[in-house]
Amino acid sequence: MLSRLKDIVRKTSINVCIINCGGCNGCDVELVACLSPRYDLEQYGIYLQNNPRDADILLLTGAVTEQWEDKLRRIYAKTPEPKVVLAVGNCPQSGDVFAQEGGRVNAPASNFIPVDAAVSGCPPRPSEIISAVLKVAPGAMLAKSQANREIEDYE
Amino acid sequence: MIVPIGPVHPGLKEPLRLKLETQGEKVLKAEIDYGYVHRGIEKIMEGKTWQKCIYLCERICGICSYEHTQSFAEVLELMAGEVVPPRAQFLRVIVNELDRIQSHYLANSTYFKTLDHEMLFMKVLELREYAMDSLELISGNRVNMGWNVVGGVRMDADEGHFKKILDNLKVIEDNHQRIVDMFSEGPVIGLRSKGVGLMSRDEALKGRAVGPIGRASGLKHDCREFHHTYKDYFDFEPIWRKEGDNYARTMNRFDEIPQSIDLIRQAIENMPKGDIRKPIEIKTGYYDWRNEAPRGEVRYMCETNGNLIKNISIRTPSINNIDSCAKYMLPGVATIADAMSTYASCDPCIACAERVQITDKAAKTVEVKEMY
Repeated sequence: MLSRLKDIVRKTSINVCIINCGGCNGCDVELVACLSPRYDLEQYGIYLQNNPRDADILLLTGAVTEQWEDKLRRIYAKTPEPKVVLAVGNCPQSGDVFAQEGGRVNAPASNFIPVDAAVSGCPPRPSEIISAVLKVAPGAMLAKSQANREIEDYE
Repeated sequence: MIVPIGPVHPGLKEPLRLKLETQGEKVLKAEIDYGYVHRGIEKIMEGKTWQKCIYLCERICGICSYEHTQSFAEVLELMAGEVVPPRAQFLRVIVNELDRIQSHYLANSTYFKTLDHEMLFMKVLELREYAMDSLELISGNRVNMGWNVVGGVRMDADEGHFKKILDNLKVIEDNHQRIVDMFSEGPVIGLRSKGVGLMSRDEALKGRAVGPIGRASGLKHDCREFHHTYKDYFDFEPIWRKEGDNYARTMNRFDEIPQSIDLIRQAIENMPKGDIRKPIEIKTGYYDWRNEAPRGEVRYMCETNGNLIKNISIRTPSINNIDSCAKYMLPGVATIADAMSTYASCDPCIACAERVQITDKAAKTVEVKEMY
């Protein structure tokens, strides 16, 4: 009962945490633009909460640099279940221009943590980011929490 | 006590670790750990043609991405001893100044966010969108534009574009003064800003602070003064202040926005007709060129072999500013909350500032090689 109530609440109040694991900063700028009154992420019940322990969605930007390999796993472990990882931009998917000879990146990010969805673009427009978050977040969170509950019931 | 902040923290836009040595809440000493965003851009560029490199230059930093492509194009043009057609120079000035407007607004909004002044944060971001619209109109993209090429610019703009840009600038100008007054006249926000994070002129010289951060401490240095386009065609005087605190740094950035608007108006008024691009043959050689990015002086040292880049070294303004922030601004700040806002007031851009330093201690002279 309580967990079902939680699901309903979490569906309309989603906290996101931005993790820049080694990009050019362009996607982060577009994420900040999402907060501006024109796009206004908060009207959809999505709040910026840069604490991974309170977050539901991790917004991953940037190709994964060497310093981030262990930290990314640790941040993923800190985030409470159910959680969704959304890769923003080309970097976490393929490494973009940095995945060349001489580059010090270890893309894609799915080598380290499971990535649920991705938005392409270098960088994607704020409207695209918002539509992706809205499309992916509530359904994925619900599915994950239901799966968890079934496992609990089974046990 | 040592307080570590970051790499993921609500006050930080980008990953970086701040270590504050504190007594109570007073900051005694600050240390900064870099290395979270090092991608090896300069190494990738070696042995490639400029057509491949100019995209990498753009992705050094997402906020001032335009200035990097311009500097890279200009270093190769000036190495060949040529200057682009006047119309291309004027178009470059327009986009450069639009980029400066949006970058300054973003920096100030981040500062207000760290002060927990939500309303100014939103108001400033709202105005920034008009500059972003103009950038998208003229170049086709919001952040990474890919607009500059060696020898000119990729696309021409017509009268309709200029009219729309002037309309957007009118909106910015109408609302700008109101927001500046909110900041400069507000008693509480002034209390949080005035006299916090002081840096004197001598300290700014020692820390090699550049851009609005150096100019707020009395270093009257702006690379646009020495740039050939601004020197030949534009009426320009750098803006500077003496106080050297958070208030002065934020106000200095606010004051540069009307100046940028004025420069764009001058450019649109005196826009010459003609080509926007000319073929340039790249020569073998070495050239050193400085340009004024929104955060300060960006320096490109480039060595070519035929039409390939042999070696390139880029110095961005953020590294100097963050370093002088850690050395001179943060020690003596009264609370940790003020330390965060002081850090935000120096307009840090970590994606710019990542570099590897190789020091050869075995040799008697210490050689320092820097690369991204």
